[in-house]
Amino acid sequence: MMQSILTIVVLTSIYAILAGGIVVLYRGTRVLNLAHGELAILLGYLFATAGMQVTGSILGGMAVVMVFSAIFGAGIYWLLMRHLIAQPFYVAILATIGIAILAKASIVLLWGGRAVNIELGANTVLYPYSTGGWFSYLDAITIATAVIFFILLYYALTSTRLGIQFRAVAENPLLASQRGVNVNTIMMVAWIVALFAASIAGVLYGSRSVLSLQAVVIGIGGLTAALVGGLDSLRGAIAGALLVATVEYATVRLIDPILSQAIPFVLLLTVMMWRPWGIFGTREEIQRV
Amino acid sequence: MFNEAPNLVTSQQQRGFILKRRYQRVLLAIVVVIAAILPFSISQYHIHLFNLALIASIGALSLNLLTGLTGQVSLGHAAFLAIGAFSAVIVERMTSVGITLALPVAAIAGGVIGLLVGIPATRFRGMYLAVTTLAMHYATVFVAKWYQMKLGVSASEGIVIPSPQMFGYTLSDDRHWYFVLALMVGIVMWLFLNILRSRTGRAWIAIRDRDISAEALGIDVFKFKLSAFIISSSIASFTGALLAYYTKSVSSDTFTFDIAVAYLAMIIIGGMGSPLGAVLGAFFVTFLPYIVEAGFDFVPVAWKGGGALFGYQLGSVGLCILVFVVFEPRGLVEIWRRVETYFERWPFRYRALEPNQK
Amino acid sequence: MNFELKRKAVTAGIVMGVMLSSPVRADYQIGFMTDLSGALSDAYTPIWEGFDLYVKALNAKGGIDGEKIVLHTEDDGLNLQKAISLTKKLALQQKVIGIFGLSVSSIHGPVFEELRRLKVPAVTAFSATSDSLAPAKPFSFSTGSLFQIAGEAIGELTPKLGVKGKVVGMTIDTVGGRAALRHNKLAVERVGYGWDEVAFPIQSVDFTPFAQAAAAKNPAIVVGHYGTAQNLGIIPALRRSGFAGPYLIANYGVTETAIEGAAKAAGSGENIYVVSRYAPPQENIPAVEQIRAAAKAHNLKSSLTQVHVEGWVLGMVMHAAVTKCGKGCTAEKLNETLENLNVNTGGLTGGPIVFTKDNHYGASFWRLYKWNNASRKLDPVSEWIRRDGIEFGSL
Repeated sequence: MMQSILTIVVLTSIYAILAGGIVVLYRGTRVLNLAHGELAILLGYLFATAGMQVTGSILGGMAVVMVFSAIFGAGIYWLLMRHLIAQPFYVAILATIGIAILAKASIVLLWGGRAVNIELGANTVLYPYSTGGWFSYLDAITIATAVIFFILLYYALTSTRLGIQFRAVAENPLLASQRGVNVNTIMMVAWIVALFAASIAGVLYGSRSVLSLQAVVIGIGGLTAALVGGLDSLRGAIAGALLVATVEYATVRLIDPILSQAIPFVLLLTVMMWRPWGIFGTREEIQRV
Repeated sequence: MFNEAPNLVTSQQQRGFILKRRYQRVLLAIVVVIAAILPFSISQYHIHLFNLALIASIGALSLNLLTGLTGQVSLGHAAFLAIGAFSAVIVERMTSVGITLALPVAAIAGGVIGLLVGIPATRFRGMYLAVTTLAMHYATVFVAKWYQMKLGVSASEGIVIPSPQMFGYTLSDDRHWYFVLALMVGIVMWLFLNILRSRTGRAWIAIRDRDISAEALGIDVFKFKLSAFIISSSIASFTGALLAYYTKSVSSDTFTFDIAVAYLAMIIIGGMGSPLGAVLGAFFVTFLPYIVEAGFDFVPVAWKGGGALFGYQLGSVGLCILVFVVFEPRGLVEIWRRVETYFERWPFRYRALEPNQK
Repeated sequence: MNFELKRKAVTAGIVMGVMLSSPVRADYQIGFMTDLSGALSDAYTPIWEGFDLYVKALNAKGGIDGEKIVLHTEDDGLNLQKAISLTKKLALQQKVIGIFGLSVSSIHGPVFEELRRLKVPAVTAFSATSDSLAPAKPFSFSTGSLFQIAGEAIGELTPKLGVKGKVVGMTIDTVGGRAALRHNKLAVERVGYGWDEVAFPIQSVDFTPFAQAAAAKNPAIVVGHYGTAQNLGIIPALRRSGFAGPYLIANYGVTETAIEGAAKAAGSGENIYVVSRYAPPQENIPAVEQIRAAAKAHNLKSSLTQVHVEGWVLGMVMHAAVTKCGKGCTAEKLNETLENLNVNTGGLTGGPIVFTKDNHYGASFWRLYKWNNASRKLDPVSEWIRRDGIEFGSL
């Protein structure tokens, strides 16, 4: 029982970080990022190779990945998304699909799409379960990272200048720019933060599981969690993640593992029928839904 | 030829033509002649590639109808292809009639599913619609896989269906397929062009551009959105059945989300809302990997790995999407229109906007 | 000379020059098509590397009777449409006399249909095609692990693990995996084991729930019927979920490098076993020496593994068939030669590879190995057992 609960909490953490990245991006730029999974895995690969292999330490690896997130985030916004602001919303989504393809292509070109395991050396026992098996340091780190991530995000959004400007842009970009907020900067920051979140998720995922071309499916999971919880709500990201993780785990243990891939979509469709803007999302004006 | 009263439609009859100006008709004639000669002058392997591009054109035309013309972003296109392909499988297994039944059944099945999906989908707009269609994609593939597993182990290596037989004639030669497919592309394009000029087409364009105003003007948005879904999915399903008969095999894991992405790429690169754009985009996206392959020999050896070619091909598709989205959002068709305008209007630069352009 | 005569002489000279200078296409054109970039490239790339190594070594020794093998490699990326296009390309453009390798079984059906139409034979390694079993369909041959036979071989070898109790089989949600489980079940039940199974989707976010589901069934042994990516994820998850007993890898293209990675991620390399059709390249027999020499001579970047041996043996089969076919070999002649072939593998598998007119798979030999984490090698635990076709039930 304890094992089940803790496993669900760990799964929730990963989904929550992914969903959080998607939510930050949507709130700041109103773009639904379909490339989130691919970018997370790409950054995970970068951590394992350019990060850990080159610097030899985890912190060094994270630093390298932060640099890459910043470069990619700034690059994507400045070179691409900035030009699409005037276009209808679906053009931006299609652009993110283009980015996803490029990310996948990079994985194939740079690492041949080979499966890679990230070794943080944290799989050791922290707390053994009575039924055998254990709660590892990695599990604890995963949960802790998610908690710290959201606390930092909350603090940043409520107490820092940049955060408040971000919320202003999220609510009404035109008005915010009239008040002197540099919307371009804010949107670029949104992309960088989103990518950084993706990188954390990718690293955590790669340490528990395997980085490969198939792994990009975690993006769909994160997207489902974000949509269920509400695309513009961080609280919703956590709630959605919890819901998706619980439903998935319950399906695997209680019903049939095979259905666990399809269940999140059933959940998504159910929530969308009832509340299309998600559990905690702002009730969208008629324009957007 | 270009100087004769270029922007004057000189008769009521001429206004009704799809191709109003004489040079357009001459160009069409040239294209038809080249297309007719083509299969006799290139190798069988290349004909096969052209056939794939032609099938893709029909699929792209159907997607362009839904997404390009009506503005309903659908990520579920691969699902309709799957529905068509599996309809063909079911018809082949259960009856002995063959393709003459399979194609209509596929189209009807697609239409019905399109209706079922369309009803809830029209509640949503924009992004939520896209996500709903994504969910539909996974649901459909799941059902298809379940069906394939049910057929047993022999189906595990791909369900094989025989060459289509119509009235005693077996269609198996790639060259014959080429003519059949080219004819079908022509018919669907003609259908598309006609719809563009009909009330339905104009309603769809209105819904794409500003659906609230459209509703205010008295257009039944629900009905027209639904009709877009139904027509688009029947043609897509029809394409799936064609694909099944052409490759003579069906497997649920062929219909990946990447295929839906490829079709979206076709209409973005080709030009959303334009039938010519769909065809151009389909040819571009189908042939791009082979062009990359041809250029692969010039890559320095150090950059070639085992799967490197695939990486370059994938990367080129992604890069093209991004380049077109930023620099030419109206697609290849826009480039063509600009060439046309240059010749038509020289020394002037611009022409009056056509009714279906923004 | 007058102008007319000069012109005729020059024309004649050019024609003669062209005729003499264009080489007669004497080399043997061989095609290899597999997944080098897609989701299962971990399994198929080493097979290609092994085959390619064999071809390079063969050409270095002068080829077959002085004529070299020209290898055309194509990447199908697990895409059915692409596989069919490339098959046509290899047969019609490059005019190969045989295609080797191929990839996942779900695209075999249509690809083989196409090959039968084009009348070009294909020999697959992993994944093996059921078309090759008796009564064999024409133009289809296999030297690799067929899911059903692999399941039964594993069943026969299970008692050698030294424990009794329940076996839990795990697989991914593919028809091949399920078939392997079905036959594994029948084989272990016959020797007195209990059975349960867990099948999970191919694309999973986290393997932990599935591993927990398996561990919750209290198995004595867990068998994994899937490839590298899943093994890398399941083995650590299983250990974390409390299963410390023997874990058996069915070798569908899983390399020693992958096992090492999984062992590291799990924290310990204890109790990991592999059942494989081909020997790991570590014994001191002449055949292995040859492979090692070739790898060194041609700068093989990856480390030599069992899966490379599978590719190398496929190369041996190709060599034997083409030699027997002789000069002027065409695709149809190669097919006839393949239907009557006996290839001595020199110890790389438990016996020779034999194809007959009716049976394009032949007897297969399997062995149980244990992973030795200290030496990072696979130690044999059993002798070679022989399987002739599918024993339990039919396909």
